[in-house]
Amino acid sequence: MTDYKQLWQKVLIEMELGISSANFTTWFKDTRIVKEEGGVVVLSVPNAFVKEWLLTKYHNTILRSLRNLESSVHAIEYVVNKEETRRREERPGRETNTRELPLPEVEVNKDDNLNPRYTFESFVIGPFNELAHAAAQAVIKKPGIMYNPLFIYGSTGHGKTHLIQAIGNHIKATSPGKKVYYMTSEQFGQDCMNALQHQKMNVFKEKYRKYDVLIVDDIQFFSDKQKFQEELFHLFNTLYDNNRQIIFSSDKHPHFITGLEDRLKSRLSAGMIVDIPPPDKESRIAIIAAKSVQQGVALSPEIIDYLAHSINGNIRELEGAVNSLLCQFELKGKEISMTDVRNYIKNNIKPKRIVAVKDVVRIISDFYNIKEESIYEKTRHKEVIRPRQIIMYILREDFNISYPSIGQKLGGRDHTTVIHSCEKIKNDIKLDQTLVDEVGQIRNLITV
Amino acid sequence: MKIEAIKGQLEEAFNKADKIAGKNQNLPVLSGFYLDARDNLLIVKATNLDLGISVSIPVKVIEPGIVVVPAHIISSFVSSLVSDRNITLQTKNQVLDIKTKTTKTSINTLPSEEFPIIPEIGNDGAFSMPARDFVFGIRSVIYAAAVGSIKPELSSISITHEGEFLVFAATDSFRLAEKKIKIKKAPHFKQILVPQKNALEIVKIFDRGDEEVSISIEEHQMALRSNGVYITSRIIDGNFPDYRQIIPKESKTTAVTLKQDLIASLKTSLIFSDSMNQLILRLVPKEKKFEIESKNSTVGESIQSLEAVLEGEDISINVNHRYFTDCFQSVMTDSLSLSFSGQAKPIVIRGVGDQSFLYLVMPMNQA
Repeated sequence: MTDYKQLWQKVLIEMELGISSANFTTWFKDTRIVKEEGGVVVLSVPNAFVKEWLLTKYHNTILRSLRNLESSVHAIEYVVNKEETRRREERPGRETNTRELPLPEVEVNKDDNLNPRYTFESFVIGPFNELAHAAAQAVIKKPGIMYNPLFIYGSTGHGKTHLIQAIGNHIKATSPGKKVYYMTSEQFGQDCMNALQHQKMNVFKEKYRKYDVLIVDDIQFFSDKQKFQEELFHLFNTLYDNNRQIIFSSDKHPHFITGLEDRLKSRLSAGMIVDIPPPDKESRIAIIAAKSVQQGVALSPEIIDYLAHSINGNIRELEGAVNSLLCQFELKGKEISMTDVRNYIKNNIKPKRIVAVKDVVRIISDFYNIKEESIYEKTRHKEVIRPRQIIMYILREDFNISYPSIGQKLGGRDHTTVIHSCEKIKNDIKLDQTLVDEVGQIRNLITV
Repeated sequence: MKIEAIKGQLEEAFNKADKIAGKNQNLPVLSGFYLDARDNLLIVKATNLDLGISVSIPVKVIEPGIVVVPAHIISSFVSSLVSDRNITLQTKNQVLDIKTKTTKTSINTLPSEEFPIIPEIGNDGAFSMPARDFVFGIRSVIYAAAVGSIKPELSSISITHEGEFLVFAATDSFRLAEKKIKIKKAPHFKQILVPQKNALEIVKIFDRGDEEVSISIEEHQMALRSNGVYITSRIIDGNFPDYRQIIPKESKTTAVTLKQDLIASLKTSLIFSDSMNQLILRLVPKEKKFEIESKNSTVGESIQSLEAVLEGEDISINVNHRYFTDCFQSVMTDSLSLSFSGQAKPIVIRGVGDQSFLYLVMPMNQA
């Protein structure tokens, strides 16, 4: 069944023959089929009155004539359609002379919460994110079937939100009948709280269960929030069982999100998990070039190269740098010179990481969910030993701190202990994939 | 159906429902009242397929039943009865007989099975407030909403909540009104947009109410309940512009004046205003001068001086008379303040000492 319009036309003709023309125009005006899936036809109607009326009075007749035309149809759902903003060029003739309030145009669509700015067209693909992009493309082709759930993780500013919103926008554009919804975990939590307070849990549950594609951003904020996790768990099961696409993003791999229940973790990992690592230099060049073109100014290759070289990692920082350079350009009204760029970088970009040993200890002990102090203590519990070794390894490998000073800073240990630890992790890493992942994760956390 | 009712109650129910009963539609049954008598109640329903109302009143039900009668005919008829108190309604075939001590009337009925179903919205977790406050909130802003539906969100009233206030707002993009009403308990909704046309009817129906009105929301639809009255209205699915950003934070010129004085001067100015309803406001703080000038090439011109406390820079700004004066009905204090932040910037009007009401109006283009 491809042509809904034609099908509905045929039904309408039958209906018109059966009832009075007054009834027909009142109840069937502005109705249409929005989609058909698994024998369920979704009918869009102008208001709740029409919905009630069709449901109680004409449901059987409509169903019968639909079935005559298309034998696979076995049910009809009615939805109230959204009132479209009617575009009209001229304003009402009177009082046109008054100025208009500079009311901001609304960007985000309330129905699905998606920001139309995030599309695949504006998504720059490089070696660093091509896997994530490919996974997203696969999801678009077969939502709910390929890679469900899709879990995208990576540090802040690597384009997670852009990618997952682009998936939503794309599905919305290509299959208009599908209900897409984007939310941050914070919104979900808020909604859940509200529902609990006002005893509207059933409404809350209903609300999220009707979506065909549900996108949940920054899932890591759910950690240690039992009630929300429970709701998400049930929601997940319902959607998953009905082959609805679910997309998550987070700053960590689900296994490393602390305070997340195991049953949720395993579900999050059930589909496809992709990582968006920091962009490599080529990708950074491509991103800067794309951003400057978007802003309508072409930067010279040297400048782009220099920017890509000096700003590491975060795409948001790249964007910020391009924007403020272009802003300067507009203010001064002259070409941006290499000196301008150098000055800008000098004043605005924070020097490459300087990390205190204490911070590394904090991050890693947080990561393994152990007490920070225990690292410095003499304990030889198994849970503590591994993280302590990893700390030493990272301090040595990534920060080039000398063995004796590592030992001294971690509670006065001998430098041979440090050497042994580093060697041990170095060897283990070759054999143990989990360890590789963990260390990768930790490095990500430290660079943020 | 056979019932006995008291005229006063019947009249009030009919009057409420009559405001909503559809007129001139192609489905005649929509211009009728649906009367449903059972369990010692008479339920009067009416709808125009945008709003639906159902009013229940206690009556003596002798024989339960359902009938649809032309709304306007029966409500005018009941209102016209002067001396009778008790009214008997009885259906016979396709006719409704109405008997009182002094009159005997029959009205042709409409096919009741064609009368639409009024969507029922659950009352769980509904939010309630005094009807008077709700009506006051809508009344304070509704004139600023756009008429017609080029942009549905602008031809509606936005209701949100902020701390202990319910915030009503409306704008047609030339001016904006906002009113805050204190409430006891936060509502369960974030924001609803009630179509201006429907809000107007709701206000009329609850106008004299001292009772509480409870509001419940569902997707696309809201319901209000109060004392046997149930109203359901479509709500707009859209985004109300985030107007907070455009409220000027600082002003360059301010004027504080008595509301009555300003209204009187504006009344005189209106006589001489042109087809554009243009007024020129001229403020010269150093000379303590506040003038309102209106000109009409065919009639003449007039300058009104006004006593006011002025501060800031000189300014001369043109405004539309109607947009400018619309808000005075909602300013509850005796004196009001006008703040200007320059040409082409909105003028802010508030009651002095009253933070609950805010009005923004844009000036006209100056030739």
